[in-house]
Amino acid sequence: MDKLERLLNLTAALLHAEIPLTAEELRDRVGGYPDAKATFRRAFERDKDDLRSMGMPLRVEPVPGVDPPVDGYRLDRDEYAGTELAFEADELAALHLATNLVRLDDDDTALVKLGAAGAGAPADTVGRIPFDDTLATMIGAAVDRQALSFTYNGVERIVEPWKLSFTRGHWYLSGFDRLRGDERLYRVDRVEGAVSLIGPATAPVGDVTEPIDLRGWELGDGPAVVATIAVDADQAAYARHILGEVVDRPDGSVTATLDVRNIDAFRSFVLSFLEHAEILEPIDLRNDFVDWLEAQR
Amino acid sequence: MSGRLNARDRLARLLSVIPWVADRPDGVLIDDVVERFAYPRAQLLEDLQEIVFFVGVYPFTPDALIEVDVSDDQVSIRYADWFSRPLRLSPEDGARLLTAGRSVLAMTDTNDDRDAASPLLRALTKLGTALGEGAERAVDVRLGTAPADTLGVLRDALERGVQVELEYYSYGRDELSERRVEPAKVFSDQGNWYLSGWCLRAEGARVFRVDRIRAAVATDIPVEGAKASIDGSFTPSSDDPRVTLQLAPAARWVVEQYPVEAIDDSGEDIIVTMAVSARAWLERLLLRLGPDATVLAADPSLGTDLASSAADRILARYS
Repeated sequence: MDKLERLLNLTAALLHAEIPLTAEELRDRVGGYPDAKATFRRAFERDKDDLRSMGMPLRVEPVPGVDPPVDGYRLDRDEYAGTELAFEADELAALHLATNLVRLDDDDTALVKLGAAGAGAPADTVGRIPFDDTLATMIGAAVDRQALSFTYNGVERIVEPWKLSFTRGHWYLSGFDRLRGDERLYRVDRVEGAVSLIGPATAPVGDVTEPIDLRGWELGDGPAVVATIAVDADQAAYARHILGEVVDRPDGSVTATLDVRNIDAFRSFVLSFLEHAEILEPIDLRNDFVDWLEAQR
Repeated sequence: MSGRLNARDRLARLLSVIPWVADRPDGVLIDDVVERFAYPRAQLLEDLQEIVFFVGVYPFTPDALIEVDVSDDQVSIRYADWFSRPLRLSPEDGARLLTAGRSVLAMTDTNDDRDAASPLLRALTKLGTALGEGAERAVDVRLGTAPADTLGVLRDALERGVQVELEYYSYGRDELSERRVEPAKVFSDQGNWYLSGWCLRAEGARVFRVDRIRAAVATDIPVEGAKASIDGSFTPSSDDPRVTLQLAPAARWVVEQYPVEAIDDSGEDIIVTMAVSARAWLERLLLRLGPDATVLAADPSLGTDLASSAADRILARYS
């Protein structure tokens, strides 16, 4: 039996089931599985993964009236279909165009499910955004108000995600860190290993810190040190653009104040101007910068 | 969509195709299904006639099977009770649509032509309602932080097919220059906006970061040459000088951030060879890495004492 036929029969059997069916019952009713117990189990696990990866809300429940308890499986028809989405033709075309203009990964399942794959002419991509399954899971959790667990900076976190923001080339997750009892901001590409969904979020959604306002030197723990730098006239426009608020000086150069929580990132930023910028104060940061450069002579 | 689809991709399609066709008792055009669901025609026909036709529930008596009727260019489906409604969009599917949709909204924002009743906005609102209470807030995309007026000038020039005059700060070379460019494309990559085009001064295809354009003016001179288009910000060429660096584990990010040509990853430190777009770029990198990087070899054209001479220049400001 073709694998596709087996998956379709399996989906039909799960939707048809009034009470949860055991793996063995499904094997007998669906057909097409290998006979040997171990190979059947492996094939069945892979099939379950395939169905879940497509978004099927597969329920795992104990089969009633069986002792010791045995896991059974079924699909609730209403959960399976979700809220009905009735898009107009121009709305499907707009979604199709959007996914063409902005390139994520190559997963086109959403358009296919909506029957929108042919809804418009292909357009030239104008934006490219890094995207993967981890990110999709995080956004899905923020939409659906689910909590996540993952490792960050070597520490286990349980986070109720509020918002995923893409800015300055990176994705940031903001949300409520349950173990720390406070709002936190994470860089998504620094999340280590797998992300798992662990159940509904319970804390109310708070005000989201906008990562747009955060620069590398502002990401750190502890109180901020206020530093003042000067940038030469030729680079002033660039500095103004990066820093926002700058103060003009008569010779065309500018000064700016920065809240520094991460000295390495601050030093790298000032170095990016080479000899066209200078740390004016505080003296500690100025000395640290000089020491760093002295070591490289 | 070309080539053959695997079992999972075909299943994802059929779970939408079956209810869509079954919902239309008079049948539908096969070509219509092929297009809407990006289903290669030969494979669709094979799957409908040889697989869907045999799908049903235990004990697979004829009355428990789906009926598929393919004739000429039409297909109809009956008795597909379990598949009367399509599989929902998963939160992950929704995440992808929301991200792409919101990005495009953010883009049109700068053009001032955002329309409250635009089809995209309507689609995203429907999608949000179906997906969950967090959808309205869950994704925010900023494709770049370039000044909107500069982007406006570039897009306008691109549309009219005219050259633009730029005052451009080249970060790599650390110099300000005036250039005339035939624009080919304005695009966003990794959070920055870029203009690609033919630079008349350099007589070559170039990519400019929009936030480093100090001033942009559209001219009335029509674009003459063939449109140049390149993606990405720096593509090494064989003429660029090379440098070989020894990097401590803390400097491993360099390998992910920049194009690297050769890499020796056998020891604790890694040894990499990379093309250098400009000396200033290499100076910044070395100064930033400090003790985590050692220059093992450098093309003579780059000069010697790369980090130390740059350090001297900067320290002159502090003495």
